[in-house]
This record gives sequence, C-alpha cells and structure tokens, in this order.
Amino acid sequence: MSRRVADALSRPVRWPAFLGALVVIALLPMVLGTPYWRGILVVCAMNVLLAMSLNLVIGYTGQLSLGQSGFFAIGAYVTTVLLKSYGWNFWLAGVAAVLAAGLVGLLLAAFAARLRGHYLGIASLGFAVIVYQILINWESVTKGVRGIYGIMPPPPIRLPGLPEISFGNQATLFYLVAGIALCVYVILDNLVRSPIGETLRAIREDEISAASLGVNGARWKAFSFGVSAAIAGLAGCFYPGFVGTLVPDAFGIVESFTMLAMVIVGGMGTMIGPVIGAVVLTFLPEVLRGFGDFRLIVYGLALTLVVLFMPGGILQAWQILTARLRGTEASESTGGGR
Amino acid sequence: MSALLEAKELRKSFGGVKAVQGISLSIPEHSIYAVIGPNGAGKSTMMNLLSGTYQPDAGELLFAGRQLAGLPAHQRVRLGLARTFQKIRLFKQLSLLDNVLAGFHIHHKVPAWQYLIPGAAFWRDWTHCREQGMALLEFVGLADLAMQRAGSLAYGQQRMLEIARAMATGPRLFMLDEPAAGLNSVEVGFLLQRLKDMRERGITVVVVEHNMDLVMKVADHVFVMDRGEYLFEGAPREVQNNPKVIEAYLGGEFTGGLDS
Repeated sequence: MSRRVADALSRPVRWPAFLGALVVIALLPMVLGTPYWRGILVVCAMNVLLAMSLNLVIGYTGQLSLGQSGFFAIGAYVTTVLLKSYGWNFWLAGVAAVLAAGLVGLLLAAFAARLRGHYLGIASLGFAVIVYQILINWESVTKGVRGIYGIMPPPPIRLPGLPEISFGNQATLFYLVAGIALCVYVILDNLVRSPIGETLRAIREDEISAASLGVNGARWKAFSFGVSAAIAGLAGCFYPGFVGTLVPDAFGIVESFTMLAMVIVGGMGTMIGPVIGAVVLTFLPEVLRGFGDFRLIVYGLALTLVVLFMPGGILQAWQILTARLRGTEASESTGGGR
Repeated sequence: MSALLEAKELRKSFGGVKAVQGISLSIPEHSIYAVIGPNGAGKSTMMNLLSGTYQPDAGELLFAGRQLAGLPAHQRVRLGLARTFQKIRLFKQLSLLDNVLAGFHIHHKVPAWQYLIPGAAFWRDWTHCREQGMALLEFVGLADLAMQRAGSLAYGQQRMLEIARAMATGPRLFMLDEPAAGLNSVEVGFLLQRLKDMRERGITVVVVEHNMDLVMKVADHVFVMDRGEYLFEGAPREVQNNPKVIEAYLGGEFTGGLDS
C-alpha cells in the first residue's frame, strides 16, 4: 500500500479527548462549588446541547435556521405537560418530548426543501414566533403567560445494589445533562465523520452538484432538521425541572439568536467549535457582572469583535494562531519558509 | 451495438426561447459520443435534459429501455447516469478525497445504526471507499494532492477532480459538459487518454465539447446541433467534410480542427 493511501486510511485517535472531557465534567462542580455557579454549569450543559443541535443544520448542512428556540420549547412543554397534567413518568415524558420535537423538525424541513438561504431563515424564524404564540395563547394546556409552577427535577434513579442517585442538587443534575451532552457529542461526531456527514457537507457546499451524485437533497435536509430538532427537544426536557417554573418568555426568538451566536462565535461546521461557543457565551455574561449596567453592552461588543476579527470563530482563530507559532518554529528548524 | 440512451423528439423552451426543438438521438453502448455545435446550439440544455437537471416539455427519453422522463436527477444517478458541469461545481471547502468520497453516496452498504456507532461493516465500507477514492484520484493524476482543499486547485485540475468525483458513482453513461474548456494542450492530451480509458472500462461517454481537435481525435460518433435543431450526425470524418456543418461554424473554430 502506498504512503498516500495509508494517509487516507489513517483514523483519528479520539479516546484521549473523550477521557479528558470526562475528567473535566467530573471536576467542574468541585471547582465551581457554590450553588449559583453549579446552576450556571447546568445552563451551560443545556446550551452545549442546543449549540450542537443547531450546528448540525447550519454548520454541516448549510441551512440557515432561526427556529431552534421553538424546538427547545416543544421539548420543555411536552415533558412538563405530560408530567404535570397526565402524570407521566419523567423519563417517558422526555422520550415523547424528544420524538415530538423531532417530528415537528421534519415538518419544518418541508419548508427547507423549497426555500434557501435568507428565505429559509425567515420561514424558520416565523416557526419560532408561531410556537411562542401558541405557548401564550393555548392557556388550557400551557397556562399561557402565567406559566407552570412547582416543576420537580428529574426523579431519582434507583439501581439495585447502588446508592440512589438524586437530581435534587445541581451537581448531580449537571452530571446528568453534561453526561448526555457528551454522549450526543460522540454520536454526532461519529455521524459527521460517516458517509452521512459527507452527504450533508455535499448539500452544504452545492446542492445541484450533490444531486448529480445521487443525493436526494430534500430527504437529507429533513434528516438533518429532524435530528437537530430532537436534540434541541432533549435539552428542553431538563430545563423546566432545573428552573422549577415554565413561562413562554424563556423561549422567545432572542434565544434562537443566542444559539446562533454560540455556533458562529465558536466555529460552525466543526464539532468542538459550538461547544466552545456555548461555554464562552454562557460564562461571559457572568464574568462581566463587574461592569454592572454596562454588562450587556460589553457582551454585545465582544460578540461583534469576535465576528469581525475571527470570521471562522474562536476555534479557527486558535488553529491559525497555533499553526503560526508552529510554522515559525518549523521554518527556524528547517532554515526556510514555504 | 445497441443503444444505451435514446431520445425521441425532445423539446425544451425557456419563455420564448426554444432551446431544444425536437431532438432525437441514439447513443450506442461502449462508445464515445460527441455533441457539438456553435454557441447557443442548445448543447448544454440537451445535457441538462439527459441528466435530469431539467425536465423536457415534450418527448421521450429511454435509458437501457427505461423511461427517464419525470425522474429527478438524483434518481437517474442510481440507474447509472453521471455528469460533470460546464461551470465547475466542486465542493470547494472540502478536500479532494472528500469530494470523491461524496460520490460514493449511492454505494454504501452499512446497517443504519453503524453510522452512529461504527462496527465492522462500517469500517470495511470506510476503507473500501477510501481505497477506491484514492484510485480514482490516481486515475485523474491528483492522488498527491488528496488532502488539499479542492478550491486551491488550478483550473484544469478542478476539471479532472470533477471527473473523478462523478466516476465514483459508478456510471454506465458518463456525460461531460465541455471537459476541455480552459485546459492547456498537455491537459487536453491527458483528458483524451482518460476518455479512451473510460471507454475501455465499458463506460459509455458523452462529450459536449467546443474543442474540435479533441472531438475529432476521440469520438466514435458526432452529433451536430445548431439553434436547438438537428444539423448532422456521423463519423468524425463525415462531419468534418459536411458543408452544412462548416457553414454553421463559419469556418472559424472548425478549420482549426481540420488543420490538425
């Protein structure tokens, strides 16, 4: 086998990164020990899920979607309504909520089959607005703007022979959501490296070209929207139990734009980029509390500067920086540039 | 030789422009079939009708005895039709190898769950596709650049990459829309050899081309169009000597082909 073919067949080694992530997740609630910071950690884990879900559609499939808050809302409300009004078990309600969000995602994909670029962006934004309006006006089910109160965290898990795992404290809730986010990351990472990922990227790059290779664009865009919506719904399952209350205002279109910002700031079309974006944009407002009333202005300014000077996001800026540092070292050792 | 693709009385208009007006043709299997004609002859429209990018207003289209009309482009690929584009349409942000790998879309045989958690079948397919992909890049002379971004290639290399990518679909009929456009003479010579190799491998090749030199050297059969209509068809030598064809080309480009 030639060296060129051997290069093409080399597989990336991922288990050290996976172990590293496990260690970081395990240590975080100990490093950030106060209930306040642990709460932020739970929010961060949910945001990571949301950013990863949106990235599948925008970053890998190249479809502008501004409706992600709608799927997040469906996940949260379906879980809570089934739990509170129909007495379902939390985990069962969660599965139903994920499926419901995924199905609605397939519906939205019907639009994506016909609309492109900015037009799809507006249509998906319209979807988020419709969901928000339904939450406000369908009072018999959603309790409207008054909201649903007294929502309990996920019930404890009792496994024979093991101590009971309760999610009443935020450290274990963080472990639960972050653990799920890590699993979703690994599965999505497998997916985007597989032929399905090749197909989605082909659609992102040039749909007509992809069709000339046998790709049914409408079908694979539907797949992408459906999976993305289901993951956003999954994040939504854990939100109500964490906050304890559920009001429509938590799912306004601003949330959609925040998720978009996470994806773009971190680096869309990569797996780790949106994770970085979600972490940065979750913690940045907290770190900026010292600025008092100017906090949101500084936040907005930081976003603008990142997009202006790091068009490929934080991840790409980091890669360029390290490549430059390595490049200068290499040229010193080899005594010449390119 | 039997006809692999047959078109009967194909018509396509865009508003008032009658781009293709009742074209009938029959493409024999295992041959190189050239479609030529001056600018605006309707060659590219014809190509788009055959590949399914456009649907005809009227007429019949048979591939290996099967009706093609109404089938979208992506389904025709599964029957064994592949194409390249006049204006190159690569996945520019992806590597050369990834471009070709996308071409294997219809050939993966992996249980669905293995796309999420890879198992033995997944890795067999993974290895097989990469080996085949590298072989195709080798075929078009680009194996050394496999890991580079497609957008960074020189123009002629981009054309060859598009050919490799389309070949990954495993076509029975391969349609190339002006493959020699923008190539230098060395590259045209290389392309010519590759077209002959494809025929050797049993692929039926359709070339829509401006480069008469290439057409005369490689084509088994030449179909001439002018202003959306049939003008003449026959062996390259007959076409070269036909007064109607020479007139349509006003002697310009075509005499160049005669000289060489």
